Amino acid sequence: MIRKWIVMLLMMIGVTLISGCWSKKELTDLALIAAFGIDLDKEGRYVGTLQIVNPSNVAGSQQPGGGGGQGTAVSVLSTTGDNLDEVSRRASTKISRRLYYAHANVIVISEKLAKKEGINSILDAFDRDPEFRNTATLVIARGTKSADICRALTIIDKIPANKIIKTLKTTENRWGENIFTNIQDVMKSLVSDGKEPVITGIQLNGDPRQAKNLENLQVSSPEAILQTNGLGVFKDGKLIDWFNGKRARGVVWILNKIKSTDVNINWREKKDAIAYEVIREKTSVSATMKNGNPRMSIHVRAEGNIGEARAPVNLTDPGVLKKIEKVLKKEIKHEIQDAVQAAQKNKADIFGFGEAVHRSAPDEWKKMKLDWNDKYFPKLKVNVKVEAFVRRTGLRNKPYSSNIGK
Amino acid sequence: MEKAKLSAYQLFVLVLLFELGSAILVPLAIDVKQDAWLAILLGMAGGCFLFLIYLCLYYYYPNIPPAIYMQKIMGKAIGRALALLYILYFTYLASRVLRDFGEMLVTFAYPDTPMFIVNALLMMAIVYTISKGIEVLARAGELLFVLIYLLAITGFILIVVSGLIDINNLKPMLEEGISPVIKVVFTQTLYVPFGEAIAFTTILPYLNNPKKARVTAISSLWLSGINLALAMAINISVLGVDLASRSQFPLLSTIQSIQVADFLERLDVFFMLALIIGGFCKIGVYLYAAVSGAASLFNVKKPSKLVYPIGLVVLIVSLAIASNFAEHLKEGLQVVTILMHFPFQVIIPLLLLFIAFLKNRKKTG
Amino acid sequence: MPSFFKNRKEKKDDQDEKNSKKLPQFMGETLAGNLEIIKQRTGNSTDVVIRILNIGFQSEIKAAIVYVEGIVNDESVNDFLIESITNNRALKERMTKQNVLETIAEETIALGNVQTVNKWDELLVSLMSGETIIIIDGTNEAIIAGTKGGEKRSILEPSTELSVRGSRSSFTESIRTNTAMVRRIIKNPNLWLESIKIGKVTKTDVSIMYIKGIANDEIIEEVRKRLTSIDIDSILESGYIEQLIEDQTMTTFPTLYHTERPDMVAGNLLEGRVAIFVDGTPFVLLVPVVFIQFFQSVDDYYVRYDIATAIRFLRIFVFFISLIGPASYVAITTFHQEMIPTLLAIAIAAQREAVPFPALVEALMMEVALEILREAGIRMPRAIGSAVSIVGALVIGQAAVQASIVSPAMVIVVSITAIASFATPSFAIAISARLVRFLFMLAAATIGFYGIILGFIMLIVHLCSLRSFGVPYMSPLAPLIPVNTGDTVVRVPWWTLRQRPRLIGNKNNVREGKGQRPVPPENRGMVNNMIEKGDRDDS
Repeated sequence: MIRKWIVMLLMMIGVTLISGCWSKKELTDLALIAAFGIDLDKEGRYVGTLQIVNPSNVAGSQQPGGGGGQGTAVSVLSTTGDNLDEVSRRASTKISRRLYYAHANVIVISEKLAKKEGINSILDAFDRDPEFRNTATLVIARGTKSADICRALTIIDKIPANKIIKTLKTTENRWGENIFTNIQDVMKSLVSDGKEPVITGIQLNGDPRQAKNLENLQVSSPEAILQTNGLGVFKDGKLIDWFNGKRARGVVWILNKIKSTDVNINWREKKDAIAYEVIREKTSVSATMKNGNPRMSIHVRAEGNIGEARAPVNLTDPGVLKKIEKVLKKEIKHEIQDAVQAAQKNKADIFGFGEAVHRSAPDEWKKMKLDWNDKYFPKLKVNVKVEAFVRRTGLRNKPYSSNIGK
Repeated sequence: MEKAKLSAYQLFVLVLLFELGSAILVPLAIDVKQDAWLAILLGMAGGCFLFLIYLCLYYYYPNIPPAIYMQKIMGKAIGRALALLYILYFTYLASRVLRDFGEMLVTFAYPDTPMFIVNALLMMAIVYTISKGIEVLARAGELLFVLIYLLAITGFILIVVSGLIDINNLKPMLEEGISPVIKVVFTQTLYVPFGEAIAFTTILPYLNNPKKARVTAISSLWLSGINLALAMAINISVLGVDLASRSQFPLLSTIQSIQVADFLERLDVFFMLALIIGGFCKIGVYLYAAVSGAASLFNVKKPSKLVYPIGLVVLIVSLAIASNFAEHLKEGLQVVTILMHFPFQVIIPLLLLFIAFLKNRKKTG
Repeated sequence: MPSFFKNRKEKKDDQDEKNSKKLPQFMGETLAGNLEIIKQRTGNSTDVVIRILNIGFQSEIKAAIVYVEGIVNDESVNDFLIESITNNRALKERMTKQNVLETIAEETIALGNVQTVNKWDELLVSLMSGETIIIIDGTNEAIIAGTKGGEKRSILEPSTELSVRGSRSSFTESIRTNTAMVRRIIKNPNLWLESIKIGKVTKTDVSIMYIKGIANDEIIEEVRKRLTSIDIDSILESGYIEQLIEDQTMTTFPTLYHTERPDMVAGNLLEGRVAIFVDGTPFVLLVPVVFIQFFQSVDDYYVRYDIATAIRFLRIFVFFISLIGPASYVAITTFHQEMIPTLLAIAIAAQREAVPFPALVEALMMEVALEILREAGIRMPRAIGSAVSIVGALVIGQAAVQASIVSPAMVIVVSITAIASFATPSFAIAISARLVRFLFMLAAATIGFYGIILGFIMLIVHLCSLRSFGVPYMSPLAPLIPVNTGDTVVRVPWWTLRQRPRLIGNKNNVREGKGQRPVPPENRGMVNNMIEKGDRDDS
């Protein structure tokens, strides 16, 4: 009995000691990567830019021995390679610690790369690696190199990658011209025959050289600032167009991603006189077959409040509200139709209409799926139906301007 | 046979954990894409039928382990050979599950650790358990059952709350008609995981209330089938058909997609818990089946002495059966199904039942 | 401290016994000879008082009263023994050499417990346990009068098992007081008590108490068997017995419950358990026990069920923290950095930036420091206690962090773990969790969460393999006994707890009538009447 236990104990100690440190990685031996940027250099090789967090510069200045809050929150370095694995491994020549990708939440792809080579060939590395998260956000560096995006320091959020994510989330929730797409979503769209991906663009306003200076942050209005801008439309994995402003929002309407936004309408010749805040929105897309041709119907149902009224308007009158709703419907419908037409012109089904057809008419879909984007989608008849409801008008009923001069 | 008694509830729990075991982790029946859940449910129905065969045999010989009643049915020599084959079959299956398990853990969490260590550690826990006897395994199962269901319910709520489920991914149903589903049922889901319940023939004799065996086992199979179908449906609705079919472990990808309130994310440890508990129970039952079979075949008085050598064999075989994961999976789907699952789970039990039926009819007549 | 002296005395006594094997077994006829033997056997111990009296009225009858000073009740010896023997004239007249023994035993002594013996061994054991011996010249028998007593501690509040609500009394060192305290709670003739003496030298009184008809006879028999088979020289505390009768020795988990609360014992007796009282210690053993019992305190039954249930959940949660708290920290910071939210990962990384040790070493250092502090806190004279806590707080708190020896996060983890282990109601289980915690830390440092989960499974398996007097340790959870799960992790209302634990007392299981749920009457008596009246008046 005792001997058995001693043998067991020795075995356990043995296994413990042997296995010792294989997969072990101390936190202090890791370089936490916050963002990963990908560019193409002149020879067509990949340039990977790693935004590495300096923990002690992020987590406040009370840390003993950390120096505290003096330097930049992140350090950035770039390396080149023929594929991303090589880039990542080669980067170890420049940094003392093991690169750790589990916290890389942002992937920045340069516009040039997205246009020229497409994103099909680069996502596998992220998908396959167990360390990398499929929930990482994907953005396109619009008009700049992705390295510049990674290098830019940001205000308020110390870690630039966090700033990008939060900005994307907030603007998706509040404004609705951009969407928050992670690698998994993009890959799903890339693989699907009936859907093409859209990816939000991010651009650097200002001088890239200014953006990486700490001094840039010490002024009240930084010279260079990161900003989301537009939706990149992809076809066959390549960036083909940018949708901006209301057209981009039209896309977001159809994708049922609007959480709240602001729609302006004209009132009695006064332009953009009334601001309508959407608080709830639901879009459903369905496909029907008519004479062998698919036909889409989009149904949008928006609820919201009046956020601002710059013209004298009697908001206590339900009839007036009905009128406002009518104008709103037109406005939203217009945005959506514009987006659909633009997409049809680009021959890229970014709305997932094909998938809707697949679901409702699987047999016909088999015939159409191969040249859906080029043949069927551009000619698709899309029926848009919008319902908009004004639920409340805020703290006041009539605007004060209606009482001026009375 | 050791002196032990199991309650019906314990059998229920063991069957459930065994069925969920590794099946919930792998892309089960993904060949039929969004209809995988249907294939699982149909497989479950078939599995229940198979289990009824095993139960009939058990009711003919309620207190005798299969290794002995095989000899009674088929005669000493053939019966012994069959029993030996079954022991080898269970040992092999135990090492297959262990290999699955080791591969998963090495792939997603411990890339630098040799699989030997990972497998050896799990085997150590299992050998320790089995050497304590079936009662202890059953009791531990009862507690782990609660744990794994708490986990599943939490996971389910989190998935729903984070708004990941897109039912549209499950449409259209039966895109290619019913025939591919039927094909998958008869080549895959019927055997793995449902037919694998044949390992429980070695445990049935311990039941303290044999009458309840049928209801318990069948309801447990039902529940496990529904759970598996639900899990697979969730995987597909979250990941989409393409990603789910490309994933080695769809459940892991599903869990990794969870993001609630910026805090409840990266819940890999959930998956790891499910993985280890599932692997533990499944390998445990297989190992027990092999050990108790060997004990009754070779008349070993203390079955716990056989646990160490057989456990070691399982460990070594698990490393030796394939040189890489792809080979391992291919073997599992093609070779093992035809050469092993089909004869061991269907043909031999049917044959045994037939002969037992004839013999018993003679006796009564 | 009577017990201490008693013990020392008896050891000496025993040595003498060994030295002189040739001593007679039975008493002799002459008083002088008998007294000589007593003196010899007790080594002339100075606390053995021998008082020679002359009883008898006309003829001289010499008698001796022998007792051990300090362990007898002086009052009984003086007032009821010496006084009544010497001053009872009427009796004295009737006494002759032939009937003196009977007369004294039956008529004179005004004490409850009187018997006559003639064996030296019995006589001496009685003498040493505080009884008074009366030896009369010319008889070969002696009277033993029950005069046990002496200084003992009064009943105080429990010091290790405090409760907010419930009885404030705790057991003392005197076995008779202890059993009496339980008797006072359960006034039922079925409360049976059996006594034996264990310990070749100490002759310690050990009693088992159970309720006949509720306790399982097999378990009582098993307890009896295990107790009688103990062969040891001394029993100084119930811990001796605990270690000699437990089912499984290779475990850190207690398979007997010890308590110093009479209400706890009474409650458990009523569930069908058997209590083992040991003289000289306030800790009473209860068998058989189940794992979940260690997370229950008497309070749970006194407060309402919802609160009791919430508190039990908390305790289980706390137990997990105290098991795997530091282990999880080690696993997360050395293996699974991806599992924590990014900002938290950065915060911990920043804290660990200047710490020169790996996480395991850091955790071990802090845990060991904590254990040292805790141990010091227990042994320390009370006056220095506060100094320890100040130094401890400085060392394992602020200073260690500022010196970059440990990270602040580690301090938090260790503190939570420490508090968690204090919050477990049973010290026995808390201390085993402390030990197992180190194993978990090693497992975590070896292979991360995989190690923790494996360790956890093995822990479950181990717990499931334990038995306490034949009862599975994890019951009624595993094996599941649905009727009894109401009083495990949860505590359902009293009016639904109709059955006693099945595995423990397997007969007479129903303990309350049906329909005990309070149903308030429709008409709420006076209060409502007044309100209704008031309403009418208003309207």
